[in-house]
Amino acid sequence: MSEPVRIGFYVCHCGTNIAATIDVDAVAKYAAKLPNVVVSRNYKYMCSDPGQELIQQDIKEHKLNRVVVAACSPLLHEHTFRNATMKGGLSPFFFQMVNIREHNAWVHTDGEQATRKALAVVRAAIARVPLHKPLEIKKVPIHPDVLIVGGGIAGIHAALSLADGGKKVYLVEREPTIGGHMAKFDKTFPTLDCAACILTPKMSQVGSHPNITLWTMSEVAGVTGYVGNYEVTIKRKPRYIVEDLCTGCGECVEACVYRQPRFPDEFNEGLGKRKPVFMPFPQAVPPIVMIDPGTCRVWTHGECKQPCVKACGDRKAIDFSQKEELKTIKVGTVIVATGFQIFDARRLPYYGYGLYPNVYTALEVERLVNASGPTGGEVVTRSGKKPKTVGIVHCIGSRDENTNKWCSRVCCLYSLKLAHLIKEHTHAEVYNFYIDMRTPGKSMEEFYNRIAGEGVHIVRGKVADVFPDPSDPEKERLLLSAEDTLLGRVLKFPVDMLVLAVGLEPKADAQDVRRMLNMSCGTEGFFLERHPKLAPVSTFTDGVFLAGCCQGPKDIPDTVAQAGAAAAEAFSLISRGHIEQEPNTAWIREEDCSGCKSCVPLCPYTAISFVEEKKKAVINEALCKGCGTCVAACPSGSIVQNLFEDEEIFNEIEGILAND
Amino acid sequence: MAIAERAVTCPNDTTLETLLSTPEGQQIMTCLQCGTCAGACPYGEFMEYPPRAVINMLWRGLLDEVIASGSLMRCVGCYACMSKCPRGIRLTDVLLPLVKEQTLANLKEMPGELQKSLENMARYGNPMGESPRKRAAWAATAGVPVRVLAEKPGPVDILWFVECYPSFYPRGQATAKATAKLFHALGLDFAILGHEEQCAGECGHLTWEPGLFEKLSEANVKALRKRQFKRLVTGDPHAYNAFQNRYPLAEEGWQVEHTAILLAQHVEQLKPRLTKRIEAKVAYHDNCCLGRGMGCFDEPRALLSAIPGVTLVEMAHNRKNSLCCGGGGGGMWLDTYYKSKGMDRLSERRVQEAVAAGADVLAVSCPLELFRFEDAVKTLGHDKQLVVRDVVELLAESLEG
Repeated sequence: MSEPVRIGFYVCHCGTNIAATIDVDAVAKYAAKLPNVVVSRNYKYMCSDPGQELIQQDIKEHKLNRVVVAACSPLLHEHTFRNATMKGGLSPFFFQMVNIREHNAWVHTDGEQATRKALAVVRAAIARVPLHKPLEIKKVPIHPDVLIVGGGIAGIHAALSLADGGKKVYLVEREPTIGGHMAKFDKTFPTLDCAACILTPKMSQVGSHPNITLWTMSEVAGVTGYVGNYEVTIKRKPRYIVEDLCTGCGECVEACVYRQPRFPDEFNEGLGKRKPVFMPFPQAVPPIVMIDPGTCRVWTHGECKQPCVKACGDRKAIDFSQKEELKTIKVGTVIVATGFQIFDARRLPYYGYGLYPNVYTALEVERLVNASGPTGGEVVTRSGKKPKTVGIVHCIGSRDENTNKWCSRVCCLYSLKLAHLIKEHTHAEVYNFYIDMRTPGKSMEEFYNRIAGEGVHIVRGKVADVFPDPSDPEKERLLLSAEDTLLGRVLKFPVDMLVLAVGLEPKADAQDVRRMLNMSCGTEGFFLERHPKLAPVSTFTDGVFLAGCCQGPKDIPDTVAQAGAAAAEAFSLISRGHIEQEPNTAWIREEDCSGCKSCVPLCPYTAISFVEEKKKAVINEALCKGCGTCVAACPSGSIVQNLFEDEEIFNEIEGILAND
Repeated sequence: MAIAERAVTCPNDTTLETLLSTPEGQQIMTCLQCGTCAGACPYGEFMEYPPRAVINMLWRGLLDEVIASGSLMRCVGCYACMSKCPRGIRLTDVLLPLVKEQTLANLKEMPGELQKSLENMARYGNPMGESPRKRAAWAATAGVPVRVLAEKPGPVDILWFVECYPSFYPRGQATAKATAKLFHALGLDFAILGHEEQCAGECGHLTWEPGLFEKLSEANVKALRKRQFKRLVTGDPHAYNAFQNRYPLAEEGWQVEHTAILLAQHVEQLKPRLTKRIEAKVAYHDNCCLGRGMGCFDEPRALLSAIPGVTLVEMAHNRKNSLCCGGGGGGMWLDTYYKSKGMDRLSERRVQEAVAAGADVLAVSCPLELFRFEDAVKTLGHDKQLVVRDVVELLAESLEG
């Protein structure tokens, strides 16, 4: 470039976020003396309107042609300052950002050392920015269809929001029916409305919506592409029922060689029984049966008279020859709503789950109190007796360094709800053992107040031991040892039934989903949002959004709100019709390419192909995501990446390593 | 992970005054006051200040009241509170011993039994006040050769630290002889220290007297350093725990093992030789130091399962949730004191659980327990239906067939 480089440098105080640790004045004074710097300033909030105008004014007044801002993470404000640079009449890529907040002020306490570090990174940016080129932003169209992974209340709500707005949605669910955990709940706090009554209408809307393609018993098997243009492979497991032909009449279930249901019923948490051919629950969507090869005689015995086939008759909906199928779809955006799993109470053996028959998880009790549950809504112990006393222990597998450290957020409230329902069904004395009663949210504290007023015993202390009451001749009653911490006394509580308020945790295969969609997870394993406050449903992968408990434990109102937000984010992208692509793509200097093909298989986006006639590799710019893998791998150094050219990076390194 | 294996997070000279400024102190500040510790404590209901309240009083600077109450006299050092603490606070081996030490120092009247035992340990190196010279006397009647290093020095593979009860008391000597027989049958190269061995002192350390522990451990380390061996093996879980976590042995390069762990490594070699059937339902009692303390639950069970005829049954409290025999942390010498306070005996609670589980044999792997449980079996009148045996005794018996 012939015209001389004129850099404007700005260091942001970010209130006291940066200025309390780093001597911003010293940084500005230091930068003023660096080569090519024409203007050097410090300002309280560079991201504010006056801050941005300062840049624009300086560009005009001082004929700046490069801008460097030292402030927060480029994730937050690179866009802001590129815009300001552009408004000042320069290419936005003549701007370079330096992170001295997240990478510096927030993680260091020694101000002097922090300031030295700031000087080094500022030097690096000022050394690299003269080499910047005016790159061009490319626009890529967005495919309007959306994939939603998971058909719980989050996936259902997001699917309906998009489909009602005219977008085509693929809803992929692993289980034979949509509905997720909510379908198993009896009542919902704090209003005590019946979960099925509010959920099943939405489920059947999904089932019949012309804009929704619902695939149950299906899983995402692979994802390629990028925002706006994802290609997704879906694995469809065999149901052994032809979905379009089954009417859900249930005649095959009646006809099954097993006269009585005898296999543990998954929907009722194993408390009830089903046949090998069954409908998961009466309001299942799709409203059709399935055959379980793990229990059906066709597989377990290799032979069966198959009266089910005869009962189905001309409908011909049963097909034992179904095989797993792979389907490929193209979508522009993905909403991940894969949900949670409950904590396995066996991990804390001293609560006796799996050992003493009358110890239940809260989810099992949801089925017990439910009218369509295994006992028809009667709360009885395993020996069929109505319990006179029931204990509910909060925080099982939550807030515990030995298991899961986080608060699962919903357990206090669902425990109060279950206390109410158990009392209503049995008139038993119910004891809720809590550590801290957490009832935030609209109408939740009022709900707590109501349940306490109903006479539920609310004991502050965690049960520490559960063992059979030696004085019970029937050997069914359990003793709970707990300190009533407000009383300061260790007491033994005899109960006929113990309910464990198990926490929520990431799905066992959450890591596989994370890898497939290139997302991040927090330390606890829930999917990580792009920003906890300002981008709560976005992920670090463009075009992939989060809804529901896969992002962290939350109740139904928050899940639905988040699902709506995720749908809106997807909608916004689709409505825009295109995305602007960061021009940090790679290209090949043809004269230097030796045609070795090393780069071709390495590209995760299959953007590189080999041109036989010329014996050279070529990169499809539309597919390149700028990951830099090929650049690092090229043995002849012929691949160049925009914004990360070798010279720029060497200058940056020299800047870092130079003396103050 | 065994709870005692996690690094102790405060220096040895920590006092109640300095505790909160150590890393462990920061952990204590995170206490939820959930009371799990109190509910898990076998004697929680007899404490005016159970562990949760001790932490609360520490925060408020009111520990003097806790010390004066004598609540911590009732702590048997069983790790029950610590193993379930949702914040991972080191109650059993950091906070509570510090409070116990002060409790004892401020006691108006020291329980006689305890005083005598501590004096004996200081004077004779064993709590029963036996002559140290007689420590290896049992070896002459072991039935197999037992090399005593004080008499026959020289390198050896296994240095077997016998401990006091198996050395001096006839009932304990039976376990020592059984162990010797098993080692011999396996062809192991082993020897004992003889009169140079002193009580390992673990109970002393976790109970009241860090000074006494220092004296005993120094004497033992000195005696051990004189000898050439590869493995340090003991049948006493308290000593095992102390060697692993409290003794300054990190640089010695000795492999420290409990007898049950060592024997379990040879279980395949033992199996064909365990020919005498022992038709019995056996309940294994997980002692606190080996189980909760060191995370060893499977090895003793594997050994018992190797005996033909044995059927394992489990008591209501087992493995990590085991119930203490009441002998740890000084409880061995506080039975009279506990009785005077209206407290039941934990050994009796445990024997009742064994009977409820339908066991014929209550198997143990700690020398203190033979005495505690055999006593409880008699006082409860269960001596017709239940016997107490050390795991090594059952193995040695089966070996004879």
